Amino acid sequence: MTSEIAIHTEGLTKHYGDLEALVDLDLDVRSGEVFGFLGPNGAGKTTTIRTILDEIRPTAGRASIRGMDTHEQSVEIRRHIGYVPGDLAMYPNLTGRDTLTYFANLRGGVDWSYVDVLADRLGADLSKKVGDLSSGNRQKVALIQAFMNRPDVFIMDEPSSGLDPLVQREFQTMLREVVAEGRTVFLSSHTLSEVQRIADRVGIIRHGRLIALEAVSNLRSKAIRRVELDFESPVEATVFEAVAGVRDVMVENHRAVFSYDGKMASLLKTVSDTYDVTDIATQEADLEEIFLTYYRDEEEVPA
Amino acid sequence: MLANVVTKTARDRWKGMAIGAGALALFLLFGMAVYRDIDLSVYTDLPEAIRAVMGIGEGADAASLAYGVVYGSYGAMTLAGLALSMGSASIAGEERDGTMGLLLGNPISRTHVLLSKAASMVLVTGFGALVLWSIGRIAPVLLDVEVAGMQVEALAFHMYINALFYGFAAMALGAWTGNRGLASGATAGVMVVSFFAAGLFPVVEGLENLAKAFPWYYFDGSQPVLNGISWGHLGVLLTGCALLAVAAAVGVNRRDLRGHTVGVTLVDRLRSNPLTQKVADRLAGSTRVSRISIKTASDHQGLFLATAAVMFLVMGVLIGPMYNFIDEALRDFSDTFPEALMAMVGGGDMGTPEGWYQVETFGMMAPIAMMVVTVVIGARALAGEEARRTMGLLLANPVSRATVVIEKTMAMVVLAVALGIATFAGVAIGSLLGGLGISTANIAAITFLVTLLGLVFGALALALSAGTGRVKVAIFGTVGVALACYVANGFLPLNDSLAGYAKWSPFYYYMSSEPLINGMHWGHAAVLAALFLALVALSVVLFQRRDLRQTG
Repeated sequence: MTSEIAIHTEGLTKHYGDLEALVDLDLDVRSGEVFGFLGPNGAGKTTTIRTILDEIRPTAGRASIRGMDTHEQSVEIRRHIGYVPGDLAMYPNLTGRDTLTYFANLRGGVDWSYVDVLADRLGADLSKKVGDLSSGNRQKVALIQAFMNRPDVFIMDEPSSGLDPLVQREFQTMLREVVAEGRTVFLSSHTLSEVQRIADRVGIIRHGRLIALEAVSNLRSKAIRRVELDFESPVEATVFEAVAGVRDVMVENHRAVFSYDGKMASLLKTVSDTYDVTDIATQEADLEEIFLTYYRDEEEVPA
Repeated sequence: MLANVVTKTARDRWKGMAIGAGALALFLLFGMAVYRDIDLSVYTDLPEAIRAVMGIGEGADAASLAYGVVYGSYGAMTLAGLALSMGSASIAGEERDGTMGLLLGNPISRTHVLLSKAASMVLVTGFGALVLWSIGRIAPVLLDVEVAGMQVEALAFHMYINALFYGFAAMALGAWTGNRGLASGATAGVMVVSFFAAGLFPVVEGLENLAKAFPWYYFDGSQPVLNGISWGHLGVLLTGCALLAVAAAVGVNRRDLRGHTVGVTLVDRLRSNPLTQKVADRLAGSTRVSRISIKTASDHQGLFLATAAVMFLVMGVLIGPMYNFIDEALRDFSDTFPEALMAMVGGGDMGTPEGWYQVETFGMMAPIAMMVVTVVIGARALAGEEARRTMGLLLANPVSRATVVIEKTMAMVVLAVALGIATFAGVAIGSLLGGLGISTANIAAITFLVTLLGLVFGALALALSAGTGRVKVAIFGTVGVALACYVANGFLPLNDSLAGYAKWSPFYYYMSSEPLINGMHWGHAAVLAALFLALVALSVVLFQRRDLRQTG
């Protein structure tokens, strides 16, 4: 069965002195999926990735990639990995092409025609020195670096930071393509929308603990919205609180603001029975709101 | 706002200054203690010329020797080095770090920033001079050494103004060019050349007045420790400071500030020229990045070239012919020259060509130059990539940590050997030009040993870098150990009961056999080589065991 599990961790724990950066992480990322790893800043996403890459060593527990131990067989593992670090830094005095050549040499060569294809798709300029590039253009070089050796497993920490929306879209297409070939993507992010678009499953981490592990379709149905309604006349909070799925109602004269998860139609039906709606504004709740709503008291992975 | 920039810069810098001044203070205590216990009568017979070169005043006693040697040369150079490092960083350093834009996003002018940085340099260097002055006062009391007639405050004040001069010079260069490396490198070059010129020209008949063309002359030409403050000489330096400050202010205001960008090098120009593109591409592109060791060596090429140029041209080629211009008195005196005194500057009899080179080139300069290269590479090899956050990306490739350590060590060895060859060639040519007839095999032996010595301390820096991931710990730790070892090897033999302890210092295995005279000592070379290999092995173990640091 190990061949179907790309990344496996059991009881993975990392303490920095008293700080519990990562606590007892049990995770299986399957081959051929995009796994989104979500969490607010400082939740332990990067600590997990750095542990899996053997940059830091776990206080307890172990991790493996394609059945190989991340510490014992770290060099062999890295033949099969493409990595984009979250806090990207490269050698400023090398051009993009020099940088790629350097890493290609450490890997025993790459297919340069593929590099050109990648550079073309992302619109990367490889002739400029990395230090002279904007952060988005630098990120493109890092992405090419991760893709160029056609790895089996991609480990990416906030990979689309700095990219413009068009390039982000192209990058996401590229990720879907490699997954279609049976390869695996482990994608850390704090942008819900990005993960929703491309991930098959997500793990949500908070304070070093995995608090949810779900299919994206499931998460989407849970995704609550922030709703603002304006009315002809002053309204009362109780009317909204009566609707199933409505929380945190704030009413101010002609206006009501609340969180809602459920079908928009049933909300509007109930409300418009009582008041005349003049305007509606809704927006996707951000990740923090979902945490606050759903995972406030939960510490364990839901069964 | 002025106070903020001043205090922030001072806060960033005072530690380095405290460590530098503290090390010098220890050095002074140590030197004075040793001089106190040895027979100094021989010094009274030294000819004036030699005393001038060595920074020893008339009426040699423990105090004047210690002040002259420790403060007059090492101390003044260290203080000036720290000041010029601050000066070069003041504008160019903030540009390189990409923080200048943020700083100037506040409502302050460029001149304001410059003046704040200058004020902070004046303050921190003053703090260093103050430490040196107070230790200079306390040391003789602690050690019960007679200091009547010694004017330490005058010496410390001269050191202070002298240091500021080089600080402002580096600041002006940095302000005009925005290039920190150029500013500190060029200023340090001027300082070293001027140090030697001011020391050597007065000994050469007919050329005495040339020394006045070099700023170092205005530091100790008047022998402040004996004669007190010379306002005339300090006036020259202070005028220089003022002019350089004005130049810096003009420079920083007239120029486009650099963003967080990378300089254009000669190779870059060759690469953009269609005629030379192919060759340059091969050199700068594919060859440079063909493996970790070559890339590391190439990253340090500027440092290497500057050091190699100084060792080859100045310490090698120039020193040879100079021997012939030296006052005859020097050679006449060679018989009575106290061996103990010479041991301190590297040993050797200045009256013979071998001794001359041993004192001038191999005593201090060659080990320092070698260590500048090896220690910087060793310290930056691992910790530097971590501080710049590139280590994670490097280690995402299928290379083991042991491989990285070994590749980085290879870069260190390659550049150290190249520097050794440059030194060898320089000295061999210098000996030829001066008609000194020093044995080529012996020159090869001593440069081989100094290369090994440099590698030992480079490997120590590598081990500290591997163990801690901190560049500063690696550099300061190694410099501290090296200084202690140097002092121990130079001073312990002066006292018979302590002489045996000198064998604990790596420097013992470099110079004690007098390789320039006696040729290769393979046993000593083996000790150094074994020490080097042991430290590299230790580095591998330390680096494999450790969590990589996330940020510098």
